Amino acid sequence: MSAFRRDKKEEEEGSGNPFQNIEKTTVLQETRTFNDTPVNPRKCTHILTKILYLLNQGEQLSTTEATEAFFAMTKLFQSRDVILRRMVYLGIKELSAIAEDLIIVTSSLTKDMTGKEDLYRAAAIRALCSITDVTTLQGIERYMKQAIVDRNSAVSSAALVSSLHLTKIAGDVVKRWVNEVQEAVNSDSVMVQYHALGVLYHIRKSDRLAVNKLVAKLSHMSLKSPYAVCMLIRIACKLLEDEDSSGGGSSDSPLFEFIESCLRHKSEMVIYEAAHAIVNLRRTTSRELAPAVSVLQLFCSSPKPTLRFAAVRTLNKVAMSHPEAVTACNLDLENLITDSNRSVATLAITTLLKTGAESSVDRLMKQIASFVSEISDEFKIVVVQAIRALCLKFPRKHSVLMNFLSAMLRDEGGLEYKASIADTIITIIEENPEAKETGLAHLCEFIEDCEHTSLAVRILHLLGKEGPRTKQPSRYIRFIYNRVILENAPVRAAAVAAMAQFGAACPDLLPNIQVLLARCQMDTDDEVRDRATYYYSILETQDKPLANHYIVEGLQVSIPSLERALHQYTMNPTDVPFDMKCVPLAAVPSEEIVNPSAKGGQADGMLISAASSGSKVLAVAATVSREESYAEKLRSVPELVAFGPLFRSSEPVELTESETEYVVRCIKHSFPQHLVLQFDCVNTLSDQLLENVRVEVETPTGYQLVQEIPCPRLSYSETGTAYLVFQFPEELGATVGTFNATLKFLVKDCDPATGLPDSDEGYDDEYMLEDFEVTLGDQIQKVTKANFGAAWEEAGATHCELADTYSLSNMGTLEEAVKNIISFLGMQPVERSDRIPEGKSSHTLLLAGVFRGGYEILVQVKLALAAAVTMQLTVRSTNPEVAELVTSAVG
Amino acid sequence: MGFWDKLVNLLGLKKKEVNILVVGLNNSGKSTIINHFKNEEEKLPEIVPTVGFNVEKFKNRNVGFTAFDMSGQGRYRDLWEHYYKDCQGVVFVIDSSDRLRLVVVREELDLLLQHPDISGRRFPVLFFANKMDVRDALSSVKIAAGLGLERILDKPWHICASNALTGEGLQEGVEWLTQQVREVVSNRS
Repeated sequence: MSAFRRDKKEEEEGSGNPFQNIEKTTVLQETRTFNDTPVNPRKCTHILTKILYLLNQGEQLSTTEATEAFFAMTKLFQSRDVILRRMVYLGIKELSAIAEDLIIVTSSLTKDMTGKEDLYRAAAIRALCSITDVTTLQGIERYMKQAIVDRNSAVSSAALVSSLHLTKIAGDVVKRWVNEVQEAVNSDSVMVQYHALGVLYHIRKSDRLAVNKLVAKLSHMSLKSPYAVCMLIRIACKLLEDEDSSGGGSSDSPLFEFIESCLRHKSEMVIYEAAHAIVNLRRTTSRELAPAVSVLQLFCSSPKPTLRFAAVRTLNKVAMSHPEAVTACNLDLENLITDSNRSVATLAITTLLKTGAESSVDRLMKQIASFVSEISDEFKIVVVQAIRALCLKFPRKHSVLMNFLSAMLRDEGGLEYKASIADTIITIIEENPEAKETGLAHLCEFIEDCEHTSLAVRILHLLGKEGPRTKQPSRYIRFIYNRVILENAPVRAAAVAAMAQFGAACPDLLPNIQVLLARCQMDTDDEVRDRATYYYSILETQDKPLANHYIVEGLQVSIPSLERALHQYTMNPTDVPFDMKCVPLAAVPSEEIVNPSAKGGQADGMLISAASSGSKVLAVAATVSREESYAEKLRSVPELVAFGPLFRSSEPVELTESETEYVVRCIKHSFPQHLVLQFDCVNTLSDQLLENVRVEVETPTGYQLVQEIPCPRLSYSETGTAYLVFQFPEELGATVGTFNATLKFLVKDCDPATGLPDSDEGYDDEYMLEDFEVTLGDQIQKVTKANFGAAWEEAGATHCELADTYSLSNMGTLEEAVKNIISFLGMQPVERSDRIPEGKSSHTLLLAGVFRGGYEILVQVKLALAAAVTMQLTVRSTNPEVAELVTSAVG
Repeated sequence: MGFWDKLVNLLGLKKKEVNILVVGLNNSGKSTIINHFKNEEEKLPEIVPTVGFNVEKFKNRNVGFTAFDMSGQGRYRDLWEHYYKDCQGVVFVIDSSDRLRLVVVREELDLLLQHPDISGRRFPVLFFANKMDVRDALSSVKIAAGLGLERILDKPWHICASNALTGEGLQEGVEWLTQQVREVVSNRS
């Protein structure tokens, strides 16, 4: 009876997932069935399916469990059941990352890969490559080469794709297969040709000349596979971009001609790829754009929705950079507004918004409003971005657009959507002072009913920053205090901080704020109470500079370094109080240009964009924490620890051409009293081993060489680092100077293949490097000031001041002057004073920074444009010598 | 086991299936021996060092053998033990011309026989003193003495000299193995 009942239950659940209730331990027990003789293929296949299901659900196997399951699986090679064998391949691939002794199946897989059964061969290759490492690759190299040129296209493709994966672990070995891959490029199969081109490009991609040749050759060959042609277009684009960035691009390059000729290809895929490529090339002029846009225009009226979508999406992007080119398609786009596919319609409208005139904005906005509720969040974000662009383009329309945005803000939507709306409103507030009050009012209303903590915190912070400077700061207090009553702890804490800002900036509100803060001291949450108490006691002192320092200005140090410093401090018990000055200041992250196409970039071919997007990510990470990463590296050199915390690191300076025998770059690290020069050297000669590599520098007057740390050994294509440590001169005026450097080393000839030196004898050699300068900027860390006016006034009382007037005869515009001054002084422009309103003939630039040793510098630069730029420079600093240095450096 | 199966077993009509393990040092001729037993169309023209293992099947007098041909290279010998549990016979191949490594062979053999998955069980062990054609090869008797085979008391064993290239001696060994397998299986049922 009970069995019957269970059956019934199972039957009911049968419509669902048959693997729903399986458990790891039971399944692993079941793998014992694999050891039975003879093997039962049906049962074993089922168990294997369960294992694969578990692994794909994210179940973690330990190494022992995986290894046991793996060895049990190897016994299934005795069965000749095709389905079971292919399941075993899948199992091997899944377990290859976890299990040990994978090598055991090498021979069995090699046998299948070279055997007669075609169903086995491709899958066996893929499994074999997943278990192979550098040491065992040599053993199967011969078979891989054969497989690449195999007549069976599935086998050949599998081998090619696997080779591509293998380049990650053994690039050099795969490079040797280039002849076979080349042969595969000529294959008749569409896929094989595509994959072969991918591998071929990957092998050669570090050698630009070779890639150039490859593209030139293949573009004349007329490839059969449309996929391969698309790939070729992408490679050509990348070459073109590289050419442009190195400055050698000419408008009628054969690469561009090739891409353009692809617009007349017979495959739609290729035509689109070519149009997309031309549109996205940075250098494309509107004349070159015309044929591409007209192709996209044709696609707009295609019966296939995918083509329409692709075309509109691309046009939408072009509208950002070349609105006038897209205007020609306006009629087609108007037709697409009523397209049954909402995604197409949204993109069409937003494109029109970007290209349209001010007069059509109202009409289009109405049309969007009619279907905005029908589209997905993702496309709503597209709409929001279009509105943001519109606001920047037509500042006068801000009231219409702002109303629309606030209506959208009240609608249902996910965090990302809401965040993008809030972002847009914030941008509008910052760009357009007229819109500030209405924008803040909308945001206030929004946080009244906002379920996203992160957004509410952000908006409260903005209110704290912008609110006190509006005409009627008091009206925001109610909204902020409501948060304290109604919200969760993080929001309450943010609200307390925002209120304190009002208290510090508006003296007439101070008594009320103090009452509210006093109430917050009774909060249930620690953080909120602590903040309230902290702000309350600071405001109570009525000490303006104190409030400026601790409320208006935030913490200026870099948080990770502070954490590390505090950790160190607690590790070594001492009586000395913790010194905030010894924590390195945070570098102000350079403003990233908001690039909506960055997301789309990832969708590009994995091979080509992988490198570029990877480097982009690296670049971003580097700007954020350059000091931190260098500090980490310098700490690993024991000789350098004694010089205190790292103050600032410069960008790397190339001291050689990039294509020379030895590549050297220099990074200047400033410590409070010392200058550390880090020389990263690369040896590009495969037949030389360098030892005792060091850089000799003609010491400028005043500097004292303290220590020299050579790089003991530098073999081929390795990067080694040598350091020089100087003491900064006492007199600050002498710290700015030029260094002439020479690379010195001991050369030992060696065998290029093994890297072992031929003999123990070597000879000394040297290599001239380019000169480099230590400037003022290397010794100044950028900091921001939220309220420059207050800081400046306060500094007037406590700091010393120096002023001077200069005439900058070699600069023609204010923009140029501002840019030069900022880069020369290496200080942070505050309050957006680096942006110059158009058509003005005078401008005030405000700069803030900290000199090594913790001396604060504030600079006010008044610029006036007559025939040339005249500049009045006022420096206030805690150290008179520093102020003098700044004024003299500019002159 | 059903009645029919019993009957078939009794009459010895049913094809028996056994797993055997082929082990030995590297370059002793394991894969070559297995290659000899395969059908004409499946035979490989050349034998390369095995990495890991290979599964091969062959038949002799109605007994189907599934041979796990293990790799003999030093670093893979540790992996043999994964396959001890479900084997019903061991073929141990020795290069009789390699006097130097006979001690290694003995060590590996002792390890094999002392393994918990092997020691308590009764199944046939067949030794091939391979490469008997080489000029100064040791005779099978000398090898048996050198390896101390007389100490194996709990398992039937047999040694025969062989030449895997020509196939000489191989059939004799397999005949013995087949017979032993039949006996063990019929004893069990």
